[in-house]
Amino acid sequence: MWKITLKSLLAHKLRLALTAIAIVLGVTFVSGTYILTDTIHNTFTSLFSTVYRGFDFQVRGVAQFSGPGTAVRNPIPESILPKIRKVPGVEDAAGSVVGYAQFVSHGGKAIANGGAPTIGASLHSKTLSYLHIVEGRAPTTSHGVVMDAGTAKKYHFKVGQQVRVLLFGPPRTFTITGIARFGDTANLAGATMAAFDTTTAQKVLGEVGKFNAIYVKVAPGAGKLAIQRDIARVLPRGVDVVTRQAVVNEAISSINQPLSFLSTTLLIFAFIALFVGAFTILNTFSVVVGQRTRELALLRVVGASRRQVFRSVLVEAAILGLVSSLIGLGLGVLTAMGIEALLRGFGISIPSGSPVLAARTVIMALVLGVGVTILAAISPARRAVRIPPVAAISDSHVVDVSLRRRFTWGASIAIAGAAVLGIGLSNHAVQLVGLGALGVFIGVAMLLPAVASPLSSAIGRPLARTLGVAGRLGRANSMRSPRRTAQTASALMIGLAVVSAFAVIGASISKSVTSVADNAVSADLIVYGKMSSPMSPGFSTTVPRVVAALPGVTATNTIYGHTPMSGQFKFRHSLETLTGVSARHLAGTIRLHMTAGDSRALASGTMLIDATVAKSDHLSVGDTVPVRFALTGRSTVRIGGVYKPNPIVGSYLVSDSYYLPHFQNPLPSGVLLRTSGGSAVEREVQHALAPYPNVQVQNRAQLEHSQLAQIDKLLGLVYALLALAVIIALIGIVNTLVLSVFERTREIGLLRAVGMKRRQVRIMIRAESVILSIFGAVVGIIIGTGLGVALASSLGSAGITDISVPASSMVVFIILSAVLGLLAATWPARRAAKLDVLAAIAAE
Amino acid sequence: MPMESVNGSPAAHALDLHKAYGTGQAVVNALDGISVTFEQGRFTAVMGPSGSGKSTLMHCMAGLDRPTSGRSFVGGVDVGSLNDTELTRLRRDRVGFVFQSFNLVPTLTAGENITLPLDLAGTKVDKGWFDHLAGQLGIAGWLTHNPSELSGGQQQRVACARALISRPELVFADEPTGNLDSIASAEILSFLRTSVKDLGQSIVMVTHDPRGAAYADRVVFLADGKVVGEMEQPTADSVLERIRLLAG
Ligand SMILES: Nc1ncnc2c1ncn2[C@@H]1O[C@H](COP(=O)(O)OP(=O)(O)OP(=O)(O)O)[C@@H](O)[C@H]1O
Ligand SMILES: [Mg+2]
Repeated sequence: MWKITLKSLLAHKLRLALTAIAIVLGVTFVSGTYILTDTIHNTFTSLFSTVYRGFDFQVRGVAQFSGPGTAVRNPIPESILPKIRKVPGVEDAAGSVVGYAQFVSHGGKAIANGGAPTIGASLHSKTLSYLHIVEGRAPTTSHGVVMDAGTAKKYHFKVGQQVRVLLFGPPRTFTITGIARFGDTANLAGATMAAFDTTTAQKVLGEVGKFNAIYVKVAPGAGKLAIQRDIARVLPRGVDVVTRQAVVNEAISSINQPLSFLSTTLLIFAFIALFVGAFTILNTFSVVVGQRTRELALLRVVGASRRQVFRSVLVEAAILGLVSSLIGLGLGVLTAMGIEALLRGFGISIPSGSPVLAARTVIMALVLGVGVTILAAISPARRAVRIPPVAAISDSHVVDVSLRRRFTWGASIAIAGAAVLGIGLSNHAVQLVGLGALGVFIGVAMLLPAVASPLSSAIGRPLARTLGVAGRLGRANSMRSPRRTAQTASALMIGLAVVSAFAVIGASISKSVTSVADNAVSADLIVYGKMSSPMSPGFSTTVPRVVAALPGVTATNTIYGHTPMSGQFKFRHSLETLTGVSARHLAGTIRLHMTAGDSRALASGTMLIDATVAKSDHLSVGDTVPVRFALTGRSTVRIGGVYKPNPIVGSYLVSDSYYLPHFQNPLPSGVLLRTSGGSAVEREVQHALAPYPNVQVQNRAQLEHSQLAQIDKLLGLVYALLALAVIIALIGIVNTLVLSVFERTREIGLLRAVGMKRRQVRIMIRAESVILSIFGAVVGIIIGTGLGVALASSLGSAGITDISVPASSMVVFIILSAVLGLLAATWPARRAAKLDVLAAIAAE
Repeated sequence: MPMESVNGSPAAHALDLHKAYGTGQAVVNALDGISVTFEQGRFTAVMGPSGSGKSTLMHCMAGLDRPTSGRSFVGGVDVGSLNDTELTRLRRDRVGFVFQSFNLVPTLTAGENITLPLDLAGTKVDKGWFDHLAGQLGIAGWLTHNPSELSGGQQQRVACARALISRPELVFADEPTGNLDSIASAEILSFLRTSVKDLGQSIVMVTHDPRGAAYADRVVFLADGKVVGEMEQPTADSVLERIRLLAG
């Protein structure tokens, strides 16, 4: 049996290669994702170990609550430092201040590398600092700054030059007194660093008289555990001491969160590709089993047991899966670099070192590759064992499982999938959504043979009419085996379902954004921080003052919070983002559509919440809700009104007079302006804000446009990631067509004998391919649209207020699918046309 | 329009055809210098032992295969001088085929199979001719059926109609009754006979059956790739006699 399996594998190298590609690509994607994220993780881990060196303990504020990836901590008074120094066994201790500081390039642009942070820090004790000044010296006055070597090199700064630095407060110009490296490396994953003397740092980054942390080094040979206890004893409430290792671990886990987001996202697309690949494999094996019916029956005649037949098909799949997985793993390394380049092309920059191939990656690749292949081969293998021995001698060997049973199963799975999907959507459980979608896809794929013939017939009608008998034959071929057609189209269906689901979500976001400009804002100009640095919690407090002073500006409203770095607070039990606005100019700048209460309630210190929160938390006007702030602790707030979701102000809105006292260094994140004139005032505002390259001024049209552009970019990335799934689906079509051509050798020979031209043969195959592709596309688009609408409507809280189905995109998808189908047919069609007429006729 | 029988102008003829398969030691001379003429308006049977080159001869003469050397003509056209497209057109417009089995395209109905050569050419179907053929062959009731729903005999009758639908100059039939019982065979053979007699159709038919050969006007005997004999107005007995003679 082994010999037969191997022979069968080797006898069809082409089929083997085509099937393998589907698995190879999926495994490549999966392993590429793991390799990429492992590599990034590794890079960061070694970076953090380098950076956090030279100290034994860190003293810092207790985490008030942990946000996504970062903990919110209050600064600690500097008066702690002398007490720590006095603790026996402490050799050295230094206070450190960290905050937001962003260099401005010679050309006047705010410097930021991809999404990497722009850090401002104090330059404290030489032994404790991770900054090594490699050129110049530490600043001695409040006008000096040390720049990181990476930035200095990239933006051509030299010691002695002036540089503008954007800060919490007004931007300032400093003299570069030195250039420093992080530990041994010039570049901390793209982060930029501006280091000041401690007093200056306190002034421009944090708070006078406070540190963010104190670093402690113990004398050699001292008992660390005892010293840590002794330090803890001198600390006031709300301050604690942790080991260096804890700090490193925290830092690493802080990047784990965004990294796992990246890997999850990529893996989702990789799994989609693998899933589509599974259908391709399933299909190929089905066709192959069909074509080997006689051979398998003959094996049964000469005494092979059902188990042996079953096993021979599965072993074939396992070998195929194994070889493909290994190839995929190898290609994964290359792909890791490719994905990185792709992401970078879309503006997401990530650091990386030499590729890391973890054991987990290898295991996952092999398990997934082999597993998926074997799973996909089970159904064909089951069909193989049902071939009766008599099929070897008789011609009527149609072994078809009861379609009724198949449809019952398919319908059940599809319905169950839809139910799980619905539950997942209403509970925001991504895994359930994925599982549900999987169920829907499998269920629909099982049901698809029921509609394959009529749909192919309808799709093929225009082709049959315009392409003559070749078109008619192509159409007939697409209808002759509903099961094969359905299986082949399934792969493309899934690919296009996901594509169109994203298209719907994208279009809905776009439409929601468009209505933001119309429905959320009534201001003429919008000033907001360029979110070029995640460290940036906003922009200088001088900005609102600068613009308010301009003659053409009639009203301003400053927005606080509502960014990933500011406004974090606990609302009941969950960490949320608060927004603060001026209650006075609310009406003239922001459009709040109240569903309950009055927006004027803001002025009396109540909180407004959006309708989504009100609904999910069962809150109504007048309710009192517990809240907690890092700075001020627990308190309660009354709900003063409920508004329709408004992306400009987020879900939790208070007046600025409520907001400001609850936050450390609150910074504006936006300013909304009413102006008395058009573009002249706009130019004035632009001019006045020229010294603040980290803010951007846009009118409503520009705001809308830039937001749409951002969405399109993101959607482009998603499409690029989905392209692989579509390519795999197309390979499936190529595979089916090649196998069909092979199967129909005699038929094609006959057609050629009675006068079919090669061109007509090609047309016939292409017509079939186009019909298959459109069939898959149409079903996929229908399902994807439903999925997209469901997803989009469950994302109301994320700012999707309008649902839009982009009909034009759908038409483009169908046309594109037809073109891709045509492409997929190129090679099979050529093969078919090249068939030797005589050999075809003579073939037994 | 029945074909005019023009004496002297053959429907097809071959001049010193050679066809060799394989190379070196293993070379098989399937055709070893065959010159033969198939007259217009006549029913010619080709007989010979298995492997004698009957099918090869037919394939070479009909432009399905190219001889190693020698020339063959269909209605005066040198088949060897045609390129692939011209050969395709020749098969489509001027030659009809009936094979032993697998004659029909499974995705087309019987009726569509019959008109296939015309559809491929994009020419209109002569309704009268179509009905005549269907009536003659007794398949008028089966035209909308798929081939899989037809018996072997019915399938062969559809194939005959297809071979004749384009009014070809010549029909090649390679053991058209090889898979049929004697009654079904007789129906096919009488039809072929009738179309030669009434319509002046030219037919070349390969057969192993002396009774089948008796329907023909003439029998050509092959052995080892050579023409080894001929017989006009054969009967089953005379053919059988000759076969015994040739074998002995
Ligand atoms: N494609 C091929 N390759 C090699 N040899 C071939 C090929 N086709 C035919 N032959 C050989 O050529 C010879 C003639 O074959 P052909 O099919 O013409 O015989 P036939 O008279 O039609 O026989 P049958 O009555 O069995 O159909 C045989 O010896 C056969 O083995
Ligand atoms: Mg033969």
